[in-house]
Amino acid sequence: MPLKTIKKDTAEALTLEWVLHVKDYKLTLDKNRCVGCQICALACPKEAIRTEEQLKFSGEKARKARVDIDLAKCNFCGICDVLCPYGAINVALDGKHILSVVEKESFPQLVRDIQVDTSKCSGSCMETEEACPLDLIKVSWFTPDGKTVENVSSTEGLKPKIEVQKEYCPCCRVCEIKGLEGVMRVRKFLYGKIGIHPEKCPEGCRDCLDVCPITGALYLSDEDKKVYPDERFCVYCGACKLVCPVDEALELKRTKIVHTPVRSGAWNKALERLTSPVGVSKELKTKGSLRARESVKKRLDLKGEQYA
Amino acid sequence: MPKRVVQKTFRAPSKKKETRPKKVEVKPKAIEGSRIGVFVCQCGSNIASVVDVEDLTGYAKTLPNVVYAENMNYPCSRQGQDNMIAAIKKNKLDRVVVAGCSPRLYEPTFQRCVSQADLNPWLFEMANIREFASYPHQNAPKKATEKAKDTVRMAVAKARLLEPLKPIELPITKKVMVIGGGISGINAALDLADMGFRVYVVEKTETIGGYMALLDKTFPTLDCSICIEGPKMVDVGRHPNIEIISFADVLKVDGHVGNFKVKIRKNPRYVIAKNCTGCGECKDACPIEYPNYADMYLGVRKAISVPYDQAVPLIYTINRDYCIECFKCVDACGAREAINFDQKPEEIEINVGAIILSIGYDMYNPADLEWTGYTKFDNVFTALEFERLILAAGPTNGKVVRASDGQKPHSIAFIQCVGSRDINRYEYCSSFCCMYTLKHAVMLKEKYKDAIEVYVFYNDMRSNFKGYEEFYNRAQKSGVKFIRVKLENRRIAQDDQTKNLTVYGETEDGKPVSANVEMVVLANAAIPANTAPELAKILNIPLNKDGFFVECQPKIRPTDTDMPGIFLAGACQGLKDIPYSVAQGSAAAAQAATVLGKPNWIVEPLVAKVDEDTCSGCRVCESACAYHAINVEKVGDKQLAKVTEGLCRGCGICSSACPMDAITMPNYSDRQIVAQIGAVLQKEEKA
Repeated sequence: MPLKTIKKDTAEALTLEWVLHVKDYKLTLDKNRCVGCQICALACPKEAIRTEEQLKFSGEKARKARVDIDLAKCNFCGICDVLCPYGAINVALDGKHILSVVEKESFPQLVRDIQVDTSKCSGSCMETEEACPLDLIKVSWFTPDGKTVENVSSTEGLKPKIEVQKEYCPCCRVCEIKGLEGVMRVRKFLYGKIGIHPEKCPEGCRDCLDVCPITGALYLSDEDKKVYPDERFCVYCGACKLVCPVDEALELKRTKIVHTPVRSGAWNKALERLTSPVGVSKELKTKGSLRARESVKKRLDLKGEQYA
Repeated sequence: MPKRVVQKTFRAPSKKKETRPKKVEVKPKAIEGSRIGVFVCQCGSNIASVVDVEDLTGYAKTLPNVVYAENMNYPCSRQGQDNMIAAIKKNKLDRVVVAGCSPRLYEPTFQRCVSQADLNPWLFEMANIREFASYPHQNAPKKATEKAKDTVRMAVAKARLLEPLKPIELPITKKVMVIGGGISGINAALDLADMGFRVYVVEKTETIGGYMALLDKTFPTLDCSICIEGPKMVDVGRHPNIEIISFADVLKVDGHVGNFKVKIRKNPRYVIAKNCTGCGECKDACPIEYPNYADMYLGVRKAISVPYDQAVPLIYTINRDYCIECFKCVDACGAREAINFDQKPEEIEINVGAIILSIGYDMYNPADLEWTGYTKFDNVFTALEFERLILAAGPTNGKVVRASDGQKPHSIAFIQCVGSRDINRYEYCSSFCCMYTLKHAVMLKEKYKDAIEVYVFYNDMRSNFKGYEEFYNRAQKSGVKFIRVKLENRRIAQDDQTKNLTVYGETEDGKPVSANVEMVVLANAAIPANTAPELAKILNIPLNKDGFFVECQPKIRPTDTDMPGIFLAGACQGLKDIPYSVAQGSAAAAQAATVLGKPNWIVEPLVAKVDEDTCSGCRVCESACAYHAINVEKVGDKQLAKVTEGLCRGCGICSSACPMDAITMPNYSDRQIVAQIGAVLQKEEKA
């Protein structure tokens, strides 16, 4: 008998569901968080995700690409959920955010290396909070007895607390560089290269800039009215690449993804699609040499014991 | 001996005689010397009460070459046959005509009788004076007798020209293929394997077992279904004479009885069968789940898994539609090295002497019957879905719970005849729904007692086999409420708040009835298997208007098909319950054994013969033949029509169609038929 499947598309979210009698698989794409980047469509092992460029009307800003998921192809594996840099996709089983691919070590998790040093906070420290282009940082101050202080005027005798919504953070490092020095320390998980060829970039076009979610990752040059990238902040998600109207004007390449250790064909394939075959072979080589180093170490340790 | 359907009366002789004057007419060499005997049957009063048999016998004696004629009652009886043999010997007869009933019924009997008198069995001819004279002209005995005389005269005219023929012997491959490994196919396979024949069981899905393996209990004994079928499945898997070719499709069947060539595609499981131990460690490592068809999509299975634990053969399968290729299963399988992601579909060819078709049935999806609310309302289930709910090993571990809130329902309505007995859907009765509904009702009542209200909205309760009526009584006594309604004007409505349902119906005298329930179970129609049309084409076996395979004769040959060597078993021939499927499986096995057990397959020599000098290889015969029995092949530097004797049914269509007049039918030659026509016209000339 037929499987009950549901697909709902609203302004807020795209929802896919398998309603089985004993289990309920649900995928939710939060359209407010989705920036229309390339990652999920490339990562999907079943090629169920498509990005559709949106028509741009003259005089209007460019609109981010629309992500659509094919219910017939989706297997609710959650790989898109794991890899979305902005945490826009949530795959849940019976309402719980449990990802079998992660549990069974079939797929790694992104490493969001975000360190907070509140001792470096000075003043209200609001610079750090305001620096985040995605509003994921919340700075609050406490009295020594643990009471939250609203509208901080003086931080005398108060303790700062900085909360970061890590699951939505693409690790752009804007807070580290533009916020108060030394408070935030962020390491990217997506590495790559971005370049815009000025000779190909049409003058006056700022489509990429319009869709880029990271303030400062792209900027309009005062001199030639063309857009240039700032590699310090770019997270290489590729939202800009999807809207760029000129072929090859914008070049974007991912080279490395920082993730928890894993041994998985699915990961190798996703990595290949997201970076390049070179990226995969580099990672495999690193893994291989790591393993070789470990085994040498093990052997030496053993000898050490014997000779001790 | 296969019975040939020879439409003697309708077969027109070739008209090309005049246009082909060159062809030398062979002089009927038998005319002068032949000694014909005519035996007129009284058939009790069936013939004798209308036709004047004395007059007819006297008339027969006057016909040229007839040296002996007698009328007797029941020449088909043993006594009658003995008398015939004696008369043949005594009068040195060399041609025999029996004027009696249809050759479809008694020709083989008389042919045997004739051969016992040391006469070639094809030197025998029947004149059907019962169906042609006494039956249709009961009110005109005089004219009936005249017509009988015509018929006898025609038969004698032909008998004069009959030629002795030799039966054709074909070798037999002592192997058999069973298509479909449900309960009837399992029984057919086991029986044949026990008789010592090699059996191939070709199964479309991953496991044999069919629908019976998915059921919870069987009626009326409430035996656990898989507990009684499981051991049989295991027997099939372990039997040294049986090879299961599962997850495979039959692509092509060539050849004929005794020697079929079957092309099969084995679909890739991505698991190497001989290396897989069925340990299931891969399944535990697999992160991906997908809806399980064996659970009617109520539950899930892993991307590498078996549909259920008792699967035979116990070989895991990777569903590449869902697999993400993380290769965790490869790691888990380890040194067994059973997983191979590069597996490709594999085509194999097997030779078999007989084929048993037991592909079973499918279930109708009632989503297009709007009044049922199926797929629209959460708590409306089909019977098979309910079966998986109540099954202890099912997705809910045997808990009957609603889809909307996971709660146990306090009232359930069963609705009968959903899609079946409906002229707009399936006109036939699905045969087993009444009984499985009774089973479900009894199980619920006996498990939950008064905690559950069970309603059955039925139209006719069909409980007409051994122990079934008693089971119906048991259901009535257990407190199930039976509500008889018309099949029209039934309707189900849902309360959107509580997701409870109201079933509306109308009694036979037009009074509205309804029941508020928390769950509805539909007895949806069983329908022909979706592979039936394709297999019908491959095997050249017709389907009836409902889509079930047509048996040779519905009453006395229910397992035979019109194709010799191909037999039917189980629900693909017509819907039937388990014991009858089992019985028919065994019956088909016995039928197949009658083929396989013979040293050679004897074909009646009434097959088309091609004159190689005249044949132009134009292929008209090829397209005329309904049995694919005549094909044009290259012989030397000439294209020639070749007859596959095992397939030819002797219908004569190719002979009529041949523009070169190169095909003759032994004992239905133009000469013989012209002689018959001449015999009829001869009388008209006289009159």
